[in-house]
Amino acid sequence: MEDGLCITAVGFLPFVFLFLIEFKLTHSRNKMNSTSTHFVPSRRMDIYEPIHQMTMWGDFKENNCEDLSPPMILEIEGKLDNQSEETSHGTVGPSSNDQEASRRPDKVQRRLAQNREAARKSRLRKKAYVQQLESSKLKLIQLEQELGRARQQGLCAGGGLDTSQLGYSETINPGITAFEMEYGHWVEEQNIQISDLRNALQSNVGDMELSILIERVLKHYADLFAMKATAARIDVFYLMSGMWKTSAERFFLWIGGFRPSELLKVLLPHLEPMSEQQHFEVCNLRQNCQQAEDAFSQGMEKLRYIVAEAVGAGRLGEGNYLPQITAAIEKLEALVRFVGQADHLRQETLQQISRILEPPQAARGLLALGEYLQRLRALSSLWSSRPCEPT
Amino acid sequence: MEQSISHRILFPTATAVANGSSTPPPATADPCGEAINTESIRKVVAENAVVVFARKGCCMCHVIKLLLHGHGVKPKIFDVDEQNEAAVTNELFKLIGEVGSGKASDPQLPAAFVGGKLIGGLDKVIGAHISGELVPKLKEARALWL
Repeated sequence: MEDGLCITAVGFLPFVFLFLIEFKLTHSRNKMNSTSTHFVPSRRMDIYEPIHQMTMWGDFKENNCEDLSPPMILEIEGKLDNQSEETSHGTVGPSSNDQEASRRPDKVQRRLAQNREAARKSRLRKKAYVQQLESSKLKLIQLEQELGRARQQGLCAGGGLDTSQLGYSETINPGITAFEMEYGHWVEEQNIQISDLRNALQSNVGDMELSILIERVLKHYADLFAMKATAARIDVFYLMSGMWKTSAERFFLWIGGFRPSELLKVLLPHLEPMSEQQHFEVCNLRQNCQQAEDAFSQGMEKLRYIVAEAVGAGRLGEGNYLPQITAAIEKLEALVRFVGQADHLRQETLQQISRILEPPQAARGLLALGEYLQRLRALSSLWSSRPCEPT
Repeated sequence: MEQSISHRILFPTATAVANGSSTPPPATADPCGEAINTESIRKVVAENAVVVFARKGCCMCHVIKLLLHGHGVKPKIFDVDEQNEAAVTNELFKLIGEVGSGKASDPQLPAAFVGGKLIGGLDKVIGAHISGELVPKLKEARALWL
């Protein structure tokens, strides 16, 4: 605005222009250190202030201020082109050229314009620099968080964890970090239990011992579901995302965990030999799981619909939407219960398997299940260590 | 007492009605004027083979409904809204308290009744569904004929 005003004035009434500048200077005198020998660049008036001073004071013949000579102006312009707005409070030598300046207004105006341009460029450069600094700072924070989590997971989890999954930036909740650590321990214990089952089956131990091992495995799964319930209350979205699992496990994710009917399909051949009755019951179980899963999936669809409706309520586009998202968050409470119910389904399925089958069969089944999940984790591990294709 | 007699008539298959209510429970009317009292709730539970009490738009209720549909059963859905929720849960609590001994906790919604008896919330229904106990109960309540 002021630049435009200056430039318009320049072509016509240089002295009017000078009076205008004086007017502006009067109003911004608090910014200026008028008796100082340095020129103090204020944010708005900038470098050309002292030049105005010079011309003005040259006009009014005030000699108590140091003035800039034209060569000095050129030097300053040169400096502006190379650095940011924090110009040095350079020494200002006395000038004898102020008389010349008032006699050659065109040259002065050109210099003024050049100065303004340089100042504007400098401001833009500074802005870009600051923005770059801020985004780098954000990136640094993210990287530090990722590193911290990767360290923790690397310490606790067994194989199969790919750190490439940590590429998202979300604020880390200590409860979630605790859950991830606990889950890492859980996986380790799971691996131990699987090899115990394997050894027991290979050494043909009795049903009693197998039953004990089976109980242990079932209780271990129950512990996992309890952990998940706690984590769901902290951040259900996180749990639903499956980011605490490996990538291949995520591929099969259904409401925050495995799909019971899918696993039963995988396990079925390993439960043989089974009696006809058992075979019937297991198939029945799988069918019941399927039905329950379908009902759940449809329930989830309904929840999505409800949440979408809440988020999109009212007029979209006005830019004020706090009530809508608050209402939507309330609706999402149901998601916590959903995850809990899905885990309950998983638990019931596992219990039912152990009820239908004799200990050796159940032990084989749980061993097969355990190793299947181990294979998925190994897949994820191998996946993340594949060499990248050169572009 | 009058209440206990009507209770026995309504629930011929009810197990161990040990205590029975000695004092007739007061009829609670919600602000709308609809009387949610012991009578109306028990009537609903008794007259329908399968009843589900649920909040409107509840997704869990939707899941229960779909599960039952899968068995070929159409449950009666009793809509609970903000106004009558307190009264309804109160009545359900009393109902549950009479039938069972250990179910002293507040009834969670949604709540499913089969053959006049409380099955429970979604987790109980799922449990019964997976363990295979649900179908015999449905048959017993004459909700299923196959």
